[in-house]
Amino acid sequence: MLSIRVLVALACCTLPLAAQHEAGADGRSKHPAMGDAKAIAAGQKLYATSCTGCHGATAEGGRGPNLRQRGMWHPLDDDALFGTIKRGVPGADMPGLNLPDEQVWQIAAFVRSLTAPAIDTHVPGDTAAGESVFWGKAKCGSCHAVRGKGGTFGPDLGNVASMKAAEDIRAAIVDPTGDGFGRYRGVTVKLKSGRSLKGLARNHNNYSIQVQQPDGNLELLHMGDVEVLVFSKTSLMPGDFRERLTKEELDNLVAYLSRQSVRTAVK
Amino acid sequence: MNIYTVAILALAVSLPSVAQVKFEDILRGPGDNWLTVAGDYRGLRHSPLTQITTANAGSLVPKWVYHVPKANGLRTNPIVHAGVMYITGSNEIRALDARTGRLIWEYKDARSKKDAVNRGAAILGDRVFFVTADVHLTALDRRTGAVLWQKQYGRIEDGLFASAAPLAVKDRLIVGVAGGDTGMRGYVSALSADDGHEIWRLYTVPAKGEPGSETWGKYIEYGGAGTWLSGTYDPDTNTLFWCTGNAWPDFYAGDRPGDNLYASSVLAIDADTGKRKWHFQFTPRDTHDWDAQSWPVLLEVPWQGKPRKVVLHANRNGFFYMLDRATGKYLRSTRLVEKLDWASGIDAKGRPIVVPGKDPTPTGNRTCPGVRGATNWMSPSYNPATGLFYVVTLEQCDIFTSSAKKPEPNKNFSGGGASTKPNEIGQFFLRAFDPKTGGKVWEYPMTGPGESWAGTLSTAGGVIFFGDDDGHLVGVDAKTGQHLWHFQMGEGLNTSPISYAVDGKQYVAIASATAIFSFGLHEPVKPVALPATR
Repeated sequence: MLSIRVLVALACCTLPLAAQHEAGADGRSKHPAMGDAKAIAAGQKLYATSCTGCHGATAEGGRGPNLRQRGMWHPLDDDALFGTIKRGVPGADMPGLNLPDEQVWQIAAFVRSLTAPAIDTHVPGDTAAGESVFWGKAKCGSCHAVRGKGGTFGPDLGNVASMKAAEDIRAAIVDPTGDGFGRYRGVTVKLKSGRSLKGLARNHNNYSIQVQQPDGNLELLHMGDVEVLVFSKTSLMPGDFRERLTKEELDNLVAYLSRQSVRTAVK
Repeated sequence: MNIYTVAILALAVSLPSVAQVKFEDILRGPGDNWLTVAGDYRGLRHSPLTQITTANAGSLVPKWVYHVPKANGLRTNPIVHAGVMYITGSNEIRALDARTGRLIWEYKDARSKKDAVNRGAAILGDRVFFVTADVHLTALDRRTGAVLWQKQYGRIEDGLFASAAPLAVKDRLIVGVAGGDTGMRGYVSALSADDGHEIWRLYTVPAKGEPGSETWGKYIEYGGAGTWLSGTYDPDTNTLFWCTGNAWPDFYAGDRPGDNLYASSVLAIDADTGKRKWHFQFTPRDTHDWDAQSWPVLLEVPWQGKPRKVVLHANRNGFFYMLDRATGKYLRSTRLVEKLDWASGIDAKGRPIVVPGKDPTPTGNRTCPGVRGATNWMSPSYNPATGLFYVVTLEQCDIFTSSAKKPEPNKNFSGGGASTKPNEIGQFFLRAFDPKTGGKVWEYPMTGPGESWAGTLSTAGGVIFFGDDDGHLVGVDAKTGQHLWHFQMGEGLNTSPISYAVDGKQYVAIASATAIFSFGLHEPVKPVALPATR
């Protein structure tokens, strides 16, 4: 019930705003601050002073929700997000901010940017230097491919910037196990025939398993033929890039990956 | 160093070429694999697999179902290679384990500027290819789903979209464009399998001043003639056979008084250069939206005492054509359907003898076949053992209306429309024709709402599989049309079945509106001991 009341309250206070700015490609209103690099940077500073107490310094959540988890608040359109920041959530701990509308829009732009696909956001860093880190020092290309160049053992990164937010890309680099590695679990399969093979378990259940081998090819196996399965407990990706790379190298790598998209940025 | 590290280190940056799909593999036609929409280049849709027969088809059971997330009205025709099935949807492609239906990888292009149905993928080398609705050819690694490149070959701003499965021929993908019902200029293109660059483009409507442009009027730039289905290919003469859609506006020809070349036609195209070798127009100055879709089937048929290489085409306008494959010369036509009143026949040169007064009118004019046509994109098939050609036909008439409103391209204007009287709902029939005579040998009547878009598959086991108008996948005897088996899919069917084999077991698969189903012979499930898992 609470959520319904909140939604109704938000709708009541935000509807009149909708007419004040241009319509976006999807027909919803779009404030010029949304997606604007300067507004996002300004919003980040305002966030640091007004929001970190509850939502955390990196928006990881605390007393208030994690703002990087898209599902938490993504159904809110721009106006509803603005209304929530400006007026708070009645009946909950979230207070309204006593700030001018322009600054509230800047905070909204920053919060939205946390989950926007990287390709649609300004990600600071030297992409050319990041590309060198990718293929050189960090050896990402041994396992990951970009546009057909690189390995097959890790997820393809040729379209990563349209699927993940920049900070999610960073998190996946420094904590690959925490990122989850669903279809990229390492597995050793011992068959009843005595044969063994190892690779990635792209999918498995009690009756079949699909294993991608180091050469990229697939082995489709019936579980009735399998004697032992040994899964890797952590991601096959090294977990020490925070130590291996300097902060600048990591920033540049994130900047490079944040430009890897099949499609260009949404204007 | 653990085993995975060893495995990773063993991995070269460039993958070795293992079990690549070669042009020659596609040339051989289907076997365990089903590598093109039609299974082969000739458009036969005939599987040589013989495990499923007329004797045992009655014991077919579903082996697996894969529900495609958020799917609706699927048009995908699966292809299968080495036990992996590739299916497409609007701006997405998936690889499934063809034995189990389990998802191996998926790729979604969420940023496409348009949504549309998608009719399937192509495979060549280590790549699979599909088109996005906003006219981009996309290449992916068939094993991992890694995206390799995407190449735009048309603009939605020009009224185009894309839905057809590309056809892989030698080193290129042959692609088409849709959108002919709202005003655009159709074309067939060959794009490099290497990087997607356009090798040639053949427009299906001439530019102003070009030969054939005199057959149009003032809206020639938006003439239509879309290429929204895949074509066929004759390797002996290196010729593509591609059909074209209707002229625009669909139902009003007042501004396009000529024949409107090359709409509602089949084009023979040099696969290397894209040059048109010949054309044959089935429906000049079409006013009933009778695209020439349903692909051209390439056969050798006895004709006047000698074997003749021909093109067979079951046309939406109600006639079943046979053309000489080398020249496009009209050889013969027969009726696909009884309900056919717009033409009294086809003359010696292949031109319809049009019955006056059958054009759409502002108040409505009843004409047969209806707007869906006597057949449509539902795939025909051919069985070499019976020598019969199988096609789903619709006996229906519609009320066609016209509008002389000023045509506006890209505004959903088609110059009129068509409707079916509630008391005159059409009936579908699966019909077997003898290509030697063009005559009907048997038919299997269907029940249903008159809304099917499902086609046929021929198998060497002597079973013809097809989707009926009530949402069943049905198996009938290829010789006689006698019912052998059916399965209720739970929803209407818009595509055609295929057959493939993995681990020595034959499957028959088809997409329903929202899912992929695969069937095989019943065998008791053996208990599976859970493996020791660590």
